[in-house]
Amino acid sequence: MTAVVTGCERCGSALEVGDLRCPICALAVAQARERGVLPEKVRAKVVRCGTCGASLEYSAEVKAPRCAFCASVMHVETTADPLEQAEAFLPFTVDVAAAREALGRFLGEKRFFRPSDLAAAAALRSLRPMWWPAWGFSAGARVSWAADSDAGSGRSQWAPHAGQVGLTFQDILVSASRGLTERECGKLAGHYALGGAERAPRGPEEAQVERFDVTRSGARRQILAAVEAGAREEVERTHIPGRHFRNVHVAVVLSSLETRRYALPAYVLAYHYRGKVYRVVVHGQDAGVVLGDAPLSWAKVLLVVGAVLLTLLVLLFARC
Amino acid sequence: MNLRCQSCGAALVVTEEVRTTVCPYCAAPSVVERPPSLDRPEPTFALGFALTHQSAGERVKHWLRTRHPWSHSGLARASLQEVRGVYVPAYLYSALAMSRYSASIGENYTETETYTTTENGKTVTKTRTVVKTEWRALRGEHAEYVPDVLVTASRGLSNAELEHLEPFELRMLARYEPALVAGWVAEEPSLSRDECLSQAREEALARVGRRLESFMPGDSHRDLKHETRLEAESLEVCLVPVWVLVARYAPDKPPLRVVVNGQSGEVYGKVPISWVKVLLTVLGVAALGLLVYLLRQGGRS
Repeated sequence: MTAVVTGCERCGSALEVGDLRCPICALAVAQARERGVLPEKVRAKVVRCGTCGASLEYSAEVKAPRCAFCASVMHVETTADPLEQAEAFLPFTVDVAAAREALGRFLGEKRFFRPSDLAAAAALRSLRPMWWPAWGFSAGARVSWAADSDAGSGRSQWAPHAGQVGLTFQDILVSASRGLTERECGKLAGHYALGGAERAPRGPEEAQVERFDVTRSGARRQILAAVEAGAREEVERTHIPGRHFRNVHVAVVLSSLETRRYALPAYVLAYHYRGKVYRVVVHGQDAGVVLGDAPLSWAKVLLVVGAVLLTLLVLLFARC
Repeated sequence: MNLRCQSCGAALVVTEEVRTTVCPYCAAPSVVERPPSLDRPEPTFALGFALTHQSAGERVKHWLRTRHPWSHSGLARASLQEVRGVYVPAYLYSALAMSRYSASIGENYTETETYTTTENGKTVTKTRTVVKTEWRALRGEHAEYVPDVLVTASRGLSNAELEHLEPFELRMLARYEPALVAGWVAEEPSLSRDECLSQAREEALARVGRRLESFMPGDSHRDLKHETRLEAESLEVCLVPVWVLVARYAPDKPPLRVVVNGQSGEVYGKVPISWVKVLLTVLGVAALGLLVYLLRQGGRS
């Protein structure tokens, strides 16, 4: 697991083991290990192979210093880009029985276009508890923005506006899941108690942990894109005057960015109804949050369309 | 400067400008360590070569064959000499850029106007929509980090040449270790730190200018002016891998220097123009023009 080592001296963002430069502001990270005293006088040094003692040369073929005699390769410190791994697990507080009940409630909900026999005819096919991966970030941001809006417009319907605003983001979740859709993740994200994170998974035995299939540098790109999107949304919602806008540009200076890699609990259930399979996701910490698909009763849809057409026809004849 | 080879004890001759040497007696590659100074700091980072000697040569041969039609015809058959892999010192600069800007922003609108025209011998009045621009003043502030500005610190490779070779893949950055440059030519910075810093600031400001151009709202803009302060600057020496080759394309001409990005294989050189080819082209075009003119004249009479 990669641990936070220190903060960047320029922007205060958290740095991790293996960072040579700050990923946010590109400031070089001071060398952690002792390299010995700087040379006081000029000398020529032969770099020797740690295995056989022969002189080493850098090799472009293996992209590392290599010994020409024993072919051993010397490790040099480069920017580490490991695959991400969850470090904070949220425990399941909804058990399997409660998840089943939540599905029952979801199927029993009275919706007009749903088939009336859904709750009775649907059969549970699978129930899979899982932890889905997400990054949580907190950061301060100085956001410069410029945009056109309808406020203060003259002959043209647009007028230019600009401003600068300080924003803070606290525990914003960015999904790294491939199994759940973005919409599902967005709806689940608001209902987790992030303060109760633990270092090891706790929940049903058969629960699986979905892996972060992304390297650290890829994760940072996604997080930065999420910060920028969040900043743009916030600026559009509260800072640009007027009701309509276009050409919204934002520039973000981040400070004190901290990210945590979460594993968040959820149940993925599948039920079948009349030969088709539908999926439902139940929140792992709040059984009240259930997202899913349900079949449509085509008879009811046809009935409504027919009724509307009939009403239109009646109205048309009544006028004639 | 005379140093001793750690392997065989022979005297090594090392000039001030290089960091590496190879012992002429035992062929042991040495890396020179010097006390750092303001203009010659210890390198912080190095980018290792990823392109081998052979592939650099092939890239250059392909590049020489595919130049424009007016290049010297000897290029395609040029022989490559003195292929050397050089770690060129460069400064990696980054800063926080805080700008105040002012500009005139053009917002378009449409107006309907009437005009008169002649149709079938009659004067008629018609209407049309025209796009007009309303200019509005905008002032504002902009702040952003400017990372990864790379400027040369070597008199051997000009900044223009380095720019042609960019970008370097900075994700492959390694912390400088003598082992990374052992067996290769590594130069010491030969330009002063101040010269490089002002060059880097210039590049950073140009980059901010371009960013502001795309930051402006409106359908168009003009008179964009900005005052930018560069804060929290950092400047680190980074050794970048460059293959330097000499191509001999004609016995009576000076050889052509070609440089290759040691990571990506991007090639750059100043292609010699064959004035004979240019003259022939001009003459050919003139003759063709004359022929067309004469044919037209002939057709009229």
